[in-house]
Parts: sequence; structure tokens; C-alpha cells
Amino acid sequence: MFGYIRPLRPELKVKDFDRFKACYCSLCHTLGKEYGLPARFILNYDFTFMAMLLWGEDEPETCCKKRCPVSPVHKKPMCFGSEGLSVSAGYSVILTRWKLMDSVRDDPFFKALGSRIAMLLLGRAYKKAQAKYPDFDRCVRERLTELDELEQENCSSLDRTADRFAALLSAASQNAGGEKERIYEQIFYHMGRWIYIVDAVNDMEEDAKRGNFNAVLARYGGKTELGDVETRELKVTLTHSLNLIISAYGLLPKTNWTDVIENILYLGMPQVAEAVFKGEFKNIRDGVPR
Amino acid sequence: MNDPYKVLGVSHNASQEEIKKAYRELARKYHPDNYHDNPLADLAQEKMKEINEAYDAITKGTAYTSSSSNSSSYNYGYSNSQGSGYQSGYGGEFAQVRSALNSGNLSYAEQLLNSSSNRNAEWHFLMGSLCYRKGWLDDARSYYQRAVSMDPSNNEYRQALNYMTMSGNAYRPARYEYGSQTDACDICTALMCAQLCCRCR
Repeated sequence: MFGYIRPLRPELKVKDFDRFKACYCSLCHTLGKEYGLPARFILNYDFTFMAMLLWGEDEPETCCKKRCPVSPVHKKPMCFGSEGLSVSAGYSVILTRWKLMDSVRDDPFFKALGSRIAMLLLGRAYKKAQAKYPDFDRCVRERLTELDELEQENCSSLDRTADRFAALLSAASQNAGGEKERIYEQIFYHMGRWIYIVDAVNDMEEDAKRGNFNAVLARYGGKTELGDVETRELKVTLTHSLNLIISAYGLLPKTNWTDVIENILYLGMPQVAEAVFKGEFKNIRDGVPR
Repeated sequence: MNDPYKVLGVSHNASQEEIKKAYRELARKYHPDNYHDNPLADLAQEKMKEINEAYDAITKGTAYTSSSSNSSSYNYGYSNSQGSGYQSGYGGEFAQVRSALNSGNLSYAEQLLNSSSNRNAEWHFLMGSLCYRKGWLDDARSYYQRAVSMDPSNNEYRQALNYMTMSGNAYRPARYEYGSQTDACDICTALMCAQLCCRCR
């Protein structure tokens, strides 16, 4: 859906990059197996991160090689064995469906046509995910409605709008139980806040042109370009959220995914934020070498 | 009881130096500065206690003792059990707000602040603290800034604002230290080369 939470590839050890790819492929495989072929297309890095994060230290990995529709000849290495894969797959179906719904409602008819078709294709997958995770589904629906209301009134508090999206993501911590649930809640809350603000900065120019609501534009009273002061303020607040994520993550037990996750937190996310402020996120997304 | 070596993440035949290094790294990780006003501060405090006990158990070669009088660990931080609370000795109108914030009762603190008509510097500071606890970092900074501009001589307000402009604090392993990535690698490469040379002979 967004793809902002990704590792800084050149700084990953080869073995960690292989692991990351294996997790990505496993999540894709899980989506296909549990929700059908169309669901494979919603695969992204953010939910791969979630799967790695939810992988418990006591869940053993089963690594194997499997064929996939994209690579039918050469089998791809994959890693299974965590409930986190299923959960991330289910949550990503639910979240994507509601985001599509949003765009169907808000965008002009022709632009929303793609979303309409995607929603139709995802229909069965969504029904299945909804039946499996009714609480998460309800929570996403409620938070997005509240977010929509704030957007309608052109809310000038960046935190207030980001809070609704953050609360939506922190619902992903439910059922972890005990201390872990508190830790996940904090991680997902600030992950959501970080994603929401980074996304708003990334879309600023386009939203200004189209006259759409944008939380950062609203925060700075409709200025269409960020000055030095505004940029610094936003960077400071993003780094602060990231620091809170790092401190919370440090309280979880180490797993086989720790090295990849640390690369994402210490290098990947700061690099993405930096690129978004420079207007160069597209290069990262398309894998243009630096 | 957890194996103290496992707690510190070292092997059973690790040298004193390795144990000390592992302990220091973990103490840096769970340092109270990284969990200032953090909803998870209690968990970090527990971790710190655990590694202090593990270090004591190993260095003294004894089982766990909770005696702290002659403990050999550094016993970093968390001197008061509350972590870093808001001094509630202030008295006055906002004493109740401070104690609500300390006990984590955010909705009560919010209710008290909203019903107060006295919008002075302290009100703005406490409003900032409330926002901070909710994770509303941008609003928190604005309130702290307002508090400082209304009462520039107050140290508590200035410190809070300062912490926000620093983006808080978090642990970074040495290999992810800002700007030192290449340096660390260079040192490693140099050491590896040196070792190779030694082996050649």
C-alpha cells in the first residue's frame, strides 16, 4: 500500500538480504494460498516488516523452495512457520480493501475506476479476512471514518489526524498478550504515525494541485512549499517517533530477523524520510542505484 | 531463574573482558535516558535489573543475591522507582494533574487541564507533557515552546523543549552510529588485514 518501511539494501549482509527476500516470498505465498491469486498483488514491504516483527522467538522456521507464478521455472527460497505471516496477510487484505474504498468514495469517477475493479477482484479475499479478523476489520473501518471526519474539517493538528491512522495500525498488536502487546502497540502506533506523516509530505505537491486534504499542508496553514523551519520541525518529529520505535523494539527478545529489522530501523527508514523530503522517493521505490 | 550468561548474551567460557563489554552494551541499551517519560519505562527498568543481577551473579560467581550494598555492577540509572516523574511537590492548582500524569491516568489529566481556566506557562507545559505521553509529539513541542516563551527562566520547561528538539533519545549499536559506518568498517578491515599479515609469517 505504501512501501515506506524497507531495508537499505546496500548495507544489508547478503545472508540478511536473502532472508528478507525469503520472507517477502513467503508472505506472497501465504496471501495466494489463503486469499487467492488477486491478493498476491497487494504484497508490499510494509507488511513484510510486520511479518518479521510478529515472528516469535519460539517459532521455528521451516525453509524450503517453492515455485511461484512470477518465477514458475526457478523455485524461490521461502521461510514458513510463523503465525505472523498469516496475520500480516489477513491484515494487509483488510487494510487495502478499506483504502480502496476510500479512493472510490473520494476520487473522481475515472480515477477511481481502477480502485473499483481492484475492490471487485479482492471481494472474496476481503470476506474471508473479515471473517477471520472481525475486530481488526471493525477497528480499521472506525478509525478511517474518524480520519475522514477530521479531513473534512481540514484539521490543522498534524498529531490529531496522524493519531487516527496510528491507532488503526496499533490495533495490529491485539491478541499478542501481556508485555508483548504493550510493546507492539507502541511500535505500531509510531510506525503508523511515521508512515502517515511521510506519506503526507510525499503527496504534498499533488494534493496542493488537486485541492485535496493534506495533513502537512493543513498543519502549516496551506503553504505549498516547506521552508527550512518547517522541514526541520517535521524531521525532528519523525526522528522522535522512530526513536520511540527503536526503544520499544529493544525490549523484544532477539530473533533470526533482528539484523534485518535493525537495518530497517536504523538505516532504511531514515533514508526513505530523507528521500521523501528531497522529492526523490520514486528513485528508491524503483530501485535506482544511488 | 534465567541463566545469567544467556541474559548477557555471552557464552559460558567468555572472558571477563567480554562479559564486561556485553554488560556495558546492554546497560547502554536500557539506559533510562532512552525511556524518558516512556510508557514502556517499567519494562526497561526490569531489563536493567535483570542484567545488573546477571552481571553480579557472574562476576561474583554466586547464585542470585538481591543485596545491592556491595554489588559490583555499575547499577546504571533508575534510581527512583517512578523513572522520571513530574515533580508533584509543586502544590498549587496543577498538583493533581501532575500526579495523574505520573500514574498514567491520561484521560483524567486531560479532563482536569481542559476544565482549568488558568492558561499560564505551567498549564502549557503540562498540556505538552500530556501530548507527549499520548505520542502527539508535534503538539507537545508547540505547547512546550509556548510554556518556555511565557516563562523563560523555568528549567523544567526548557529541558522538556530541549528534549523535543533533540528528537528524544534511543540506543544505537556501534555499527549504526551516525556517520561512523565507514570508519567502523575501515577499522575492521585494517584489523583483518593486520591479522592476515600475522598469519602469513
